[in-house]
Amino acid sequence: MKKIILTLSFSTLLLFSCKEKEEKDCCKKDKSNTEDISKSVLFNESIHNLESRWVKQNKDSMSLGNLSNKITVAAMVFTHCESACPRIVADIQRIEKSFTPEELKNIQFLLISMDPLRDTPERFIEFSKEYQLNDDWICISSDENATMEIANVLNVRIKPLAGGGFDHSNVIHLIDKKGNIIFQQNGLAQEPAEMVKEIRELIRE
Amino acid sequence: MRTIFIILFLFNSRLVISQGQSSMVNIKGGVFLPLYSLDSQKTEVKPFLMDVYPVTNADYKKFILQNSSWRKSKIKPIYADTNYLHQWNSDTSFAVNLALSPVVNISWFAAKKYCECQGKRLPTVAEWELAGRASETKPDATKDLKFNQWILNWVSKTSPKVLPNVGSTFKNYYGVWDLHGLVWEWTFDFNSALTTGESRGNSGLDNTFFCGGGSFASKDINNYASFMRFASRSSVKAKYGVPNLGFRCVKSKL
Repeated sequence: MKKIILTLSFSTLLLFSCKEKEEKDCCKKDKSNTEDISKSVLFNESIHNLESRWVKQNKDSMSLGNLSNKITVAAMVFTHCESACPRIVADIQRIEKSFTPEELKNIQFLLISMDPLRDTPERFIEFSKEYQLNDDWICISSDENATMEIANVLNVRIKPLAGGGFDHSNVIHLIDKKGNIIFQQNGLAQEPAEMVKEIRELIRE
Repeated sequence: MRTIFIILFLFNSRLVISQGQSSMVNIKGGVFLPLYSLDSQKTEVKPFLMDVYPVTNADYKKFILQNSSWRKSKIKPIYADTNYLHQWNSDTSFAVNLALSPVVNISWFAAKKYCECQGKRLPTVAEWELAGRASETKPDATKDLKFNQWILNWVSKTSPKVLPNVGSTFKNYYGVWDLHGLVWEWTFDFNSALTTGESRGNSGLDNTFFCGGGSFASKDINNYASFMRFASRSSVKAKYGVPNLGFRCVKSKL
């Protein structure tokens, strides 16, 4: 098991200027000279830096920056898979069960689709019922570009298979309120003790 | 006198290259068989347009001047490691002799962004491999021993300290230069290179070694260079800057 701590170099903290829409239109003239210093300063390794838009199971649109009010336990999944994804959801539920209701107020569970074509909000609602996911669970999907980008940020490898499925890394990511990846639990059916300990540390902070 | 002509000629060809940087040529579609395909997983590739040359330092500088958040000093560490544009002296400058050599030490995120800003995108592995199997004369030279040997000779050499200019290797059947012999190139779905599947219950994908287990399933065991590309794709992460890894862009045909 590998503990990945992404060290933050405070000295190079970047002003987060070109986030959001204007950067998407990248061929336009750069606006950085007039950057708004009052905008919030983000940790520069934060996944909140990503500009992509996502759709939740309730059809609300969101960006990853919207995850900032809680600690996030996340995994990339696709709902049509038969073996590994139910297991990874079960692994996350096992983590969930390790906490008291009081502690759970600080935690949200995020399933990110690697199969944006088939993982529609409707499909995610069905899936949530099937796996009895409560309101602390957020299921999101986007487009191919955003999916590939988040996979690469999380270092998840995804190989589409002929039958419409995927081979993929099985990783559960712990992301703090600032969007930093604090810890990754690799592999299926792992003992979650270390993950649970890391989450408790974040709750205490 | 003769030397002057040669110099003039070189100068001219450089000009042609520098002007034609963003020119693209048509690659006709076809069927690509992935290197590791347990279930004869054929990938249908639609016709597309591919950049004639890899993106150069000069090209990339133009992008940087328009998009200052991608400068060395400003890039978010989530998008690139510390090797990013290592060959550049500053945010916007590099040695003159690097202008027309391919830009390297470039992350996948940066390459992807660059292409998007040109209204293009990174090629998929299937697209790249389809274009890459063309020799000077044949659209598919995978069975051509001389062609394969030529690629292998390049693969087995270490990269020169100063990379040659783009347009210095060979122009393939489609009119694309330097797919082999200059630098490795990023692909959009490089992260699909994995040999261990969920079916085998192995999730230690960071430790995927390409030989051993996977190789028996390869459809083309003689194509050593494609093993090398596979290995290279499975060993990099998207934020890595590598001194012999560059990129070029493609575009879907409307």
